[in-house]
Amino acid sequence: MKFYVESVSKCAQRLGTLSEIDAKPSVSIKTPAVMLHTQGGQIPHITHEVFKLVSRDPQILQIPLAGMHTFKEAMQYYEGTISNFIGSKDSLTCLTLQDPCNITKQGHNSTLKVPIWTKNGKVYYDAKSYMDVVESFKPDIYFLLSDGDTNISSSEKRISKSLSNTVSFYKECLERHRKSQTLANSFVIAPVVGGYKQLAREKFLKSILADVKDVGGFLIDGLHNNGPETEFLEFAEIEPVVKNILNKLPTDKLRVIQGCWNPVNVINLVEMGIDLFDSSYCHILTERSAAMTFAIEPTDQTDTYEINLRDAKYLDDFQPILTGCNCTSCTKYSRAYIHHLLSVHELLGPILVMIHNVYHYLRFFEKIRKCVKSNTLQALQVSITEQFQNHQKTK
Amino acid sequence: MTTKSPLVFTLIAECHTTKARVSRMVLPHGPVDMPVFMPVGTQGTLKGMLPEQLEELGLQIMLANTYHLGTKPGVEILEKAGGLHKFMNWNNCLLTDSGGFQMVSLLKLAEITEEGVRFQSLNDQKAEVMLTPEHSIEIQNAIGADIVMQLDDVVRTTNPDKARIEESVHRTTRWLDRCLQVHKKPDTQSIFPIVQGTLYEDLREISAKDHIKRHVNGYAIGGLSGGESKDDFWKIVHLCTNILPKDKPRYLMGVGFAEDLVICCALGCDMFDCVFPTRTARFGCALTRTGQLNLKKEKFKKDFKPIDENCPCNTCKNYTRAYLSGVVTVYPSACHLITEHNVVFQMRLMKDIRESIKQDKFPEFVRKFMLDLYPNKEYPTWVRDSLSAVNISLTL
Repeated sequence: MKFYVESVSKCAQRLGTLSEIDAKPSVSIKTPAVMLHTQGGQIPHITHEVFKLVSRDPQILQIPLAGMHTFKEAMQYYEGTISNFIGSKDSLTCLTLQDPCNITKQGHNSTLKVPIWTKNGKVYYDAKSYMDVVESFKPDIYFLLSDGDTNISSSEKRISKSLSNTVSFYKECLERHRKSQTLANSFVIAPVVGGYKQLAREKFLKSILADVKDVGGFLIDGLHNNGPETEFLEFAEIEPVVKNILNKLPTDKLRVIQGCWNPVNVINLVEMGIDLFDSSYCHILTERSAAMTFAIEPTDQTDTYEINLRDAKYLDDFQPILTGCNCTSCTKYSRAYIHHLLSVHELLGPILVMIHNVYHYLRFFEKIRKCVKSNTLQALQVSITEQFQNHQKTK
Repeated sequence: MTTKSPLVFTLIAECHTTKARVSRMVLPHGPVDMPVFMPVGTQGTLKGMLPEQLEELGLQIMLANTYHLGTKPGVEILEKAGGLHKFMNWNNCLLTDSGGFQMVSLLKLAEITEEGVRFQSLNDQKAEVMLTPEHSIEIQNAIGADIVMQLDDVVRTTNPDKARIEESVHRTTRWLDRCLQVHKKPDTQSIFPIVQGTLYEDLREISAKDHIKRHVNGYAIGGLSGGESKDDFWKIVHLCTNILPKDKPRYLMGVGFAEDLVICCALGCDMFDCVFPTRTARFGCALTRTGQLNLKKEKFKKDFKPIDENCPCNTCKNYTRAYLSGVVTVYPSACHLITEHNVVFQMRLMKDIRESIKQDKFPEFVRKFMLDLYPNKEYPTWVRDSLSAVNISLTL
C-alpha cells in the first residue's frame, strides 16, 4: 500500500490517496478519511451484511486489539487474513492497540510492556507478543506498539516513561517488521508520544525520525486516554501540541489521529493536515441513544445538531431521524418506532440509530473532502461550529 | 353481498402415509406456504434483524405479542402509526397472540374471572388492569395483524384439577363468541379460536367440536408445550387434528424444536411458533440437523468450519465457528448473526418438509431426519409411538 499526498505544506489541509494495495489493486481510499471502528471484528451493532445497506464503498476497518485478543491463538492456525476471519474479506483492516471507545485505564503501565483490557481482564503486550499477533493477523495497516497512556495532566515522570517505552517498541517492532515476509506489504503507522509537553514530543520525534524507512504514516498518540471524554476535549489545548508535531513530520507520510472527536474538532484537525480518523464517535453517540442531525449541506432540512431518541417527545413523532436523509433508517423507519425499540431495549433500536450515524458521518467526511478540494473548508467549519454552539446552549 | 375473505386456504398436496399436508393461505399481506414456522417478534421486532433482511430471506409471516405491544407503545400510538405493519416497516404477514398466555405465564398475580383476566400491570404505575376478550380484540384490531387469536382461558397442562379445566374449556368458547362479536375488521383480520382442555382427551374433544361450529378461517391448538410429557403431548395433537377440518389451517401454538416440528407436521399441523430459535441464538446456540451447537464451547475455538456447511445463510457463508465462538454473548452483532442462521434453519426445515410431501416422500424424509438426529437409532419412545400412529415405522 502506498500513500500519495497532493500537498507539500507542513501543517495545512490536504488531499491524499491510499492505493496500490497488495491484495486489492482496484481499491483506493481518498483522504481525509474515516476508518470504521469495530469491536470484535464488527462495527458495533452493524454486521458486515447490514453495513451493505449503509455503503458499498471500500472501507478501512479499524480493529482494536482489545476485542481481538480472544482470537490470538486461533489466528496462529487460521490461514487467511484478519479481514477474512472477521467476515469482511473486501475491507481493508487497520490493527490498533487500544479501542478509541473504551477508556484506557491509567496507572497500569510497566516497563517495556503495555496493558489492554479484554473481556477477561487486563493483558500485557510487549514488542514480541504484539508483533506475533500482527504477523498472524496480517492486517493491511497496523500501528506499532506504543505506550500512549498520557493526557493533559500527566506527570513528567509518566511522559518520560511513555517515551522510553515507545522508542524501544518502535525499534524492536520495526526491526521485526523488516525481517518479516508476511508483513512485507503491510503499511506501518508509527505512534508519536509525549503528552502535552513540547520538549518531550520533540525528543521523541528526534529519536525516531532518523529512521523512518518502511514507515508509512504517523499516529498522534498520547493526547487522551480514549473513551467518551475525547469528544469534549478543547481544541485550544491540543492545537499547539498537534501543530508542533505536524511541523516536524515528513509531509509525504499519512497522519492519523485516534478517538471520538466531535465534528467541529474533526474539521479543525483536517485543517491542520490530519488524514485519517475513526468512526468511534458514531458508537459513542449511539450508546447514549443519540443521532446526528447537524446539517452537512446548507440545504439539509434540520434545526438540531443531535437528537436523543429516548426523549418522550418522540413517542408519536412519525418523521424520520433526519428529513431528507437517504439512509435505510431514515427512509424506512420513524423516530416513534426507534423510540419504542430503545425504550423496550430491543436490539434493533441501536442498530437503526447506528446505521444513521455511520451514514451521516461518512457523508460528513465526503463533504470534508469536497471542501478541501474546492478550498471551502472554512465555510463548513463556520456552519458546524455555529450548530454545535447552538446545541450546547439549548442543552 | 360477499366480502373478500382475509384468508383463502388452498390444499396443495397430502402425504399418502401420514396426516401431513402442504397448503397455502393467502392473507391480506401476502401468501404463506404451509407447514410454516413463524418466528416471534415480540415487541414489533425480531431480535436484531431488520425487516428487510427477513424479507430477503423469504420470511412470509412472523408473530408479535399483544400483551407487550398493548403495554408499549400502546393502542394509541399503533393507531396513529396506521398499525404494526407500517410502524415496523414489515410488509409481509403478521399474527398476534391474544395476550392471555403472557398474563398467566409472566404475571404471578393474574386472576381469571368470567369477565376476563385481572392482573397487575408491569408498567410504572403498577395499576390493576383487566384484560377482557373485548379488550384483547380491540388491541389486536389496532395492531392490525392478518391473523389474530381469541383470548383463551389458559390452564397449565400440569394442573390436575379437572373441574377447573372443564370450566376453562367452556369459558374459552364463551370468550371466543365475545371476541367474534366485537371484531371490527373481519375483512382484513381472521380470528382463530384456540382448542383448550390440557391433557384430557374428552375435554379437548368438546373444545374442538364446539369451535368447529363457529364461522372462522382457521384453528389453533393451545395449552400444550407447557411442561407436559411428550407421550401426552403428541396424543393430544393427534386427537385435535383428527377433529379439526381439513380445509382450514391448523396452528399448533408454542412448538419450535426441529424434532417436534417434523412429528407435528406428520400429525397434520400447518403452523407453528416458538421463541426458542431466536432466544437460544442470544445464548450462543446455533441449530443444526444433528443437534444444537453451543458456540461458547472451547472446542470451537480453532474450528474453521461454518456452523453448517450446507446452510445457505449469510452467517454460514461468511463466518467460521472459531470466529463466532469468540464473539457470541460478548457483542450484540454476534447475536444477530446466530439469529439469522437459526431463522434460516427453521425456514429450510419447513421447506424440506413441504418439498418431501409434494414429492410424496415425506416418510423417507422423516426416517432420514430422525436417523441424522439419533445416529445410534436410540429413538425416544414418544417419537416411535407418534410416528407409528401415522404409519411411519422407524425400525425398518
